[in-house]
Amino acid sequence: MDSKSHNGFRINGVKYGDKTKQAFEWWGPAPQTARKIAVSKSKALVDKRVSLKAAVKRYLRDAITIGIGGFVNTRVPVAIIHEIIRQGAKDLTLAFHSNSICAELLAGAMLLYPDHVSVKRAELAWWGYEVIGIAPLLRHLAAKGMIQLDDYSNYGMSARFKAAAMGLEFIPVRDHGGSDMERLNRGLMVSSPFSGKNTYLVPACYPDVGLLHVTAADMYGNCRIFGALCTCPEIAIASAHSIVSTEQVISNENIRTYPNLTEIPYLAVDALIEQPFGAYPGVCYGHYWFDMAHMQMFRNASDEFRKSGNKNPLKKYYEDYIFGCETFDAFLNKLPPEIFEKITQLDGGQPIIVD
Amino acid sequence: MSAYTPVEMITYTGSRILEDKKIVFVGTGLPMIAAMHAQLTHAPGLGMIFEAGALSPILDMGLPLSVGDTRACRKACYLKGLCAVFELTQRGCADYAFIGGAQIDCYGNVNSTFEGGSYSKPRTRFPGSGGAGVMAASCEKTIIIMALEKRRFVKKLDFLTSIGFGDGSPDYRENAGVMGSGPYRVITHEALFGFDPQSKKMMLLEIAPGKTPEQIQEKVSFELRISPKLKPMRVPAAKDLKLLRHVCDPEGYFLTRKVN
Repeated sequence: MDSKSHNGFRINGVKYGDKTKQAFEWWGPAPQTARKIAVSKSKALVDKRVSLKAAVKRYLRDAITIGIGGFVNTRVPVAIIHEIIRQGAKDLTLAFHSNSICAELLAGAMLLYPDHVSVKRAELAWWGYEVIGIAPLLRHLAAKGMIQLDDYSNYGMSARFKAAAMGLEFIPVRDHGGSDMERLNRGLMVSSPFSGKNTYLVPACYPDVGLLHVTAADMYGNCRIFGALCTCPEIAIASAHSIVSTEQVISNENIRTYPNLTEIPYLAVDALIEQPFGAYPGVCYGHYWFDMAHMQMFRNASDEFRKSGNKNPLKKYYEDYIFGCETFDAFLNKLPPEIFEKITQLDGGQPIIVD
Repeated sequence: MSAYTPVEMITYTGSRILEDKKIVFVGTGLPMIAAMHAQLTHAPGLGMIFEAGALSPILDMGLPLSVGDTRACRKACYLKGLCAVFELTQRGCADYAFIGGAQIDCYGNVNSTFEGGSYSKPRTRFPGSGGAGVMAASCEKTIIIMALEKRRFVKKLDFLTSIGFGDGSPDYRENAGVMGSGPYRVITHEALFGFDPQSKKMMLLEIAPGKTPEQIQEKVSFELRISPKLKPMRVPAAKDLKLLRHVCDPEGYFLTRKVN
């Protein structure tokens, strides 16, 4: 680097050049591989509806990177995560910007059933529950050195998915520079080839499998999202394969009536599952608000494990609600029906266009 | 009406700093409440950005409990995703960032990643940057909320998550490749801080009634600059408390919490 490079200004005095000595490794597919996978797919408009079980069986493997859609508690793919935990996979890499219960459910599965589920690392911006509190299982795994973390900002992770959705290797961003994320994450400070100014590049993030929950989709996988889009369209397009659960399946005729409303095109969807309440206990705009009591119940069990080492309440959650259920509907059926009336009411009937 | 609490003082101070006809990028909790209060009082033309994708919503369903939840999207002017709102911010459309964290240093750098131990084996791992790192880099001015405690106002951060003025060198931010002008205010319930334009170091601007600069200094690990125009902090009036308690956060999700 030239003498203007940013490392001269590092607070910690750690030279940025140290990072360039390590060969960069793609944790998910390399861009060329991701492209080959896209090229090899059938582009036909075919019915992509499958059972959740079949979809997860088709794409889940050990040591893959899974991209998790939604944002904290919003439209999080909880149904798909339950099935991943049921089927089990080891040495997973998690890629997301901000998440609560999906990441914690996987972390808890790893702590309780390490021979069945394990998370090797996470590339992320934020892992917590917002109003409900910090994520106890992240805190536990990190303190024990049981998980490798690669930290970015929320824009950094979103831009990484976006870069992959554009077929690129990296994208410049106006943040991370001058922070310890610059020093430790897998981005790199370079001189702009145009102005010579320091510019931070983050590597694209191509997940092997993207997990998304959407408001509505036709059977071909054209998806509509109401409420915040989060980074779901980018994650779907970035991923080598995407599993999408949807609150409801709508007609292709309706999709074609309002083509502007399609946020994820059918080309980026490999498996579609109609799963009402698929983001529960998270929130899904136009359908339901989040169930804070249920989140708290799971979080309390997690926190008890972190503080006292008592695994029983956490184990009971997994036994009752995940391993004790054949499907996500079976889980929902175990809960009092009035919960669903309440969270539906709390949504306030946000207007969405589905017919 | 009972006297104000520390959290109400912080929120009220946050509100009065926000100017009308600007955009504030807010996170969950006190920043949202401060922005709501500002809209209801001196800044009706203030717009909010929520990072999950909403620009200028009308919070007529009540306080959002998550920046991505339904309430945060309600009646927005523009509702997309993280890329859209962060790119607007990077372009220069967000005037204020409102962030928090676990530690702050004299140059307004903030840690929200971990405390104690090492990065790979932290004693206490926090959620991480989330939006804070990019807000501190790309919003024009950064407002930081922090509990006034020695263990939080530190000489050296365990991890620099959100960029302030770095090591205080004049071109630190430019060399870091970021565009915003940097830390603007640090709000606590007993003191309001700004930054000395020359040294970039934290400076005591206002102080809560009954407190002395020495008492504030005792709660800060680094040496504070003191503004020659040191003023008392304005306290929330009865009408402000009424708005905060009954309109902004009637369920007391955030305002009934302790400062730390």
